Amino acid sequence: MASATVELPTMIANVLGGVRRLEVNGTTLQEVLQDAFEKEPRLRVHVVDEHGEFRPHVLCFINEDNTRWHERRDLPIRDGDKITILQAVSGG
Amino acid sequence: MGTVVIVGTEKGGFICRSENKREWTVEGPLFKGWKLTATTRSPSGRWLAATASRVYGAAVHVSDDLKEWRQIENGPAWAADSDRKMNQIWTLRAGANRHFAGVDQAGLFLSEDDGESWQPVPALNEHASRPNWFPGAGGLCAHVVLVDPNDEKRVWVGISAVGVWRTDDGGETWLAKNEGIRVAIEDKEFKDIGFCVHALAQQQTDGDVLWRQDHTGMYRSTDGGDHWTACMEGLPSWFGFPVVRDPDSGRLFCFPMESDEYRMPVKGDLAVYTSDDRGDSWQRRAEGLPTHPCWAGVLRGAMAHDGGGGIYFGDTAGAVYASADGAESWQALPCTLPRVLSIEAFTV
Repeated sequence: MASATVELPTMIANVLGGVRRLEVNGTTLQEVLQDAFEKEPRLRVHVVDEHGEFRPHVLCFINEDNTRWHERRDLPIRDGDKITILQAVSGG
Repeated sequence: MGTVVIVGTEKGGFICRSENKREWTVEGPLFKGWKLTATTRSPSGRWLAATASRVYGAAVHVSDDLKEWRQIENGPAWAADSDRKMNQIWTLRAGANRHFAGVDQAGLFLSEDDGESWQPVPALNEHASRPNWFPGAGGLCAHVVLVDPNDEKRVWVGISAVGVWRTDDGGETWLAKNEGIRVAIEDKEFKDIGFCVHALAQQQTDGDVLWRQDHTGMYRSTDGGDHWTACMEGLPSWFGFPVVRDPDSGRLFCFPMESDEYRMPVKGDLAVYTSDDRGDSWQRRAEGLPTHPCWAGVLRGAMAHDGGGGIYFGDTAGAVYASADGAESWQALPCTLPRVLSIEAFTV
């Protein structure tokens, strides 16, 4: 079981009472996201859709690694990893 | 007594306050960056707001003071095994015992705990005709809910481009109520859907008396929507979005626009039209509104009364206008906002 952090974008933090960072535990991306959703249930609706898939314009990085480049949600998480939720800057 | 006007825009909410309906302050943005799609106030005094985002989804927030807001945990949501998406909460309707939320993709949700949790209303959401429901230009959205002032079990819901539905038994059964309306998109199988209601207004002393700005014109019903009759004399166009009724004076307000093809003020004339004879005739009211050509539209949720003679609307260019005398004269509020999506006004 690894300990990691989930960093949230300002727009989400602003509607969650200012929460910018969650300390989470798990061995895979799926597990740490689930832990984040349990610690802050209101986060889920902003990050994933009704089917548990990332919203189309939400990006999730593990450190510098864009998880969209992988098709798996069981990507390994190590102690100290930083999971960053971002808005995809797509189009203009 | 003061007035609070909550303006929901594409990029957040703005609170306009006045003690005399002449001098206004504008605070905001609330929910910066989020669409503020609907607001209301519960009889308990609690404020409710619905936000949406192209990126981060839709949610309901509550507040006791319009300053500190709390996102609730169990907002309107489609089931995980549903193929529907919760794109936006279009309308919030708060009652003494039950609140309603109308959403896109179209559906009705109910809260019986002052907005803390919401459950779907399956008899409407899973209606036999549902697979044939067709979206309007704004999406497949349930955008207006009315409750009979004398019978809370009697509820009307407007869905674009499906039509008006009514329940007389608290939501157990629903019937389409579109007789007399020119159909917008005729369905092959279900002849009582395909009607593109844009907005509804109701006579607060008699829930049977309704007005409907439809895609195909302005209509009135005096039997709870069982039958509708066109009432457009004096309007420069059959097309428009909002229709509002002031409960004290009985005056009706609408904002005609040129056809579904253009959706702009007719000839660039930014003007509200009013009726004092229940829609039989309409008169232009534009004193104090810009005299230069204006080509910004007014969306279906962007006009409201405050229950005390004040009427307000915002346009797609971010201007907000107020009238303290039932549209006889107007003033622009001191702001230029993002595209205005929703307006609700309250006497506090």
